[in-house]
Amino acid sequence: MSERFEERAVLSGVGQSAIGRQIDRSAFQLTLDAVLGAVADAGLTVDDIDGIATFPGGGKANLPGYASPGIYEVQDALGIGTTWRLGMNEGFCLPFHGAVQAVASGVARHVVVYRTVKEGSAARSAGGRPAYGSTRPEAEGPMQWLLPIGALSPVCHVAPYATRYLHEFGATRQQLGWIPVTQRAHAGRNPDAVYRDPLSLDDYLASRMISTPICLFDCDVPIDGATAFVVSAADTARDLRAPVGIEAMAGVCEDRPSWEQWRDMTRVGHGTAAAMWARTDLGPADVDVAQLYDGFTIEVIWWLEALGFCGVGEGAAFVDGGTRIDLGGELPMNTWGGQLSGGRLHAGFGHTAEAMRQLRGEAEGRQVDGAEVAVVTNAGGFESGAAVLTAWRG
Amino acid sequence: MALAGIPPAVTEETAPFWEAAREGRLVVERCRACGAEAFPPAGICRACRSRETEHAEVAGPGVVYSFTVNHHRWLPDLEVPFALVWVDFPDHPGVRVVGRVRGCEPDGVRIGMAVDVGFEEGPNGFAVPSFVARPEDVLVGETGLQSPESTTRTGEGA
Repeated sequence: MSERFEERAVLSGVGQSAIGRQIDRSAFQLTLDAVLGAVADAGLTVDDIDGIATFPGGGKANLPGYASPGIYEVQDALGIGTTWRLGMNEGFCLPFHGAVQAVASGVARHVVVYRTVKEGSAARSAGGRPAYGSTRPEAEGPMQWLLPIGALSPVCHVAPYATRYLHEFGATRQQLGWIPVTQRAHAGRNPDAVYRDPLSLDDYLASRMISTPICLFDCDVPIDGATAFVVSAADTARDLRAPVGIEAMAGVCEDRPSWEQWRDMTRVGHGTAAAMWARTDLGPADVDVAQLYDGFTIEVIWWLEALGFCGVGEGAAFVDGGTRIDLGGELPMNTWGGQLSGGRLHAGFGHTAEAMRQLRGEAEGRQVDGAEVAVVTNAGGFESGAAVLTAWRG
Repeated sequence: MALAGIPPAVTEETAPFWEAAREGRLVVERCRACGAEAFPPAGICRACRSRETEHAEVAGPGVVYSFTVNHHRWLPDLEVPFALVWVDFPDHPGVRVVGRVRGCEPDGVRIGMAVDVGFEEGPNGFAVPSFVARPEDVLVGETGLQSPESTTRTGEGA
């Protein structure tokens, strides 16, 4: 491969606040916990930080507890100057995508990226998971085609993808159920996961339907918590405690940027995955551990197929029985419990945090032996992002 | 009774859609230059980027590309369960519209089922897409359909 800009950056730090169904601290304090933790984990001080980013930026979210605190307040509280900042509401694909480009181009040296959610507390206040429009009861932009008819949640927007997938390939809910069942077993080994008691396939099949074919245990868990990373220039690696390499990343949207207008709902993320693999000599067979976005179980299926771990239409059979995606399987997957049991840290932040732990050999209680190559994905459809991260070889 | 939901913020681009909806008509954007049709309206042709667009009525029938039956009560006055359908129009490539569906039980909706265009009163008096099922007309082979006798037709449009 010719020189890749990813080589000029590393993931240097990860920090997380307390994570739970309800944490009685403000989103701002949780953010500071994660940011300070990430900086210390990198082996840096706050004064080293010259860039800051978050998703989504303050302001526009129309779901209570969803938006992170704004970067102006966080920057001001940290007392730092910056050469690069990014608080984005749209076009997001991976937690570190923009920061890596900033560092690789030399605009910044050490960028901190954070994502904070208070969706657990928001759900408790609302007496259930809130609908879109709960914060501002008017449906703007693309939402005006969905919220007036009662498609009030991301569940309703992703459900037709699952319906179409099961229809075209003859896959079953029983097969999809092995994703939350297996990930719950992983969560049992992660003291920070929000749901740790074993889940059986019968529990899954008996759970209440939210929007067919998506039942309760197909959905991730709204929580309170914050995650932060530091992205550093690779030439600072000697000063860093435990850097992680960035082999390749891509955030490509090859179809219409819309949940409902996506043409083929059975093939999602394929353009993103192809663009990512084109940037490395590594391939699916080289991956030791996979952290695949799991806002809903069907999203895991998309990524298994898009990344080439199995063929199109084979994802449900791949997870059936759970043995392939178990800790000792051919593709240990969502080893922290994923968003389904670890909690909805959202936007690939929880997945990236676990990939870093695995590649550093710091995933205590659930470490995959010899994990040197990890794949991380975010969302799907028009918010797709995919990356390969590697253990640092210096 | 009006369907519960969040009302749309109407813009210059979308006002013609919502106005036609009140009359029970489904309009999409058609390019005067190349004839391509698209939804939602944007004041530009997605195919040739001409700004010369007009609003064209789509009469249907449409075909259910996919669907979901929503069981969760997201709003206090939301009646559940109800089906939502993602409808493509064989005669109008590029047009997909999401809506409610009437004319069959929620569990009777199937991929490939034909639906007629229709609207119902939704939030704040807006007429929202509410297709009318034609469960006897399946445009793509499918099993498990309800028999026509067990369905309750509620008539056309709003």
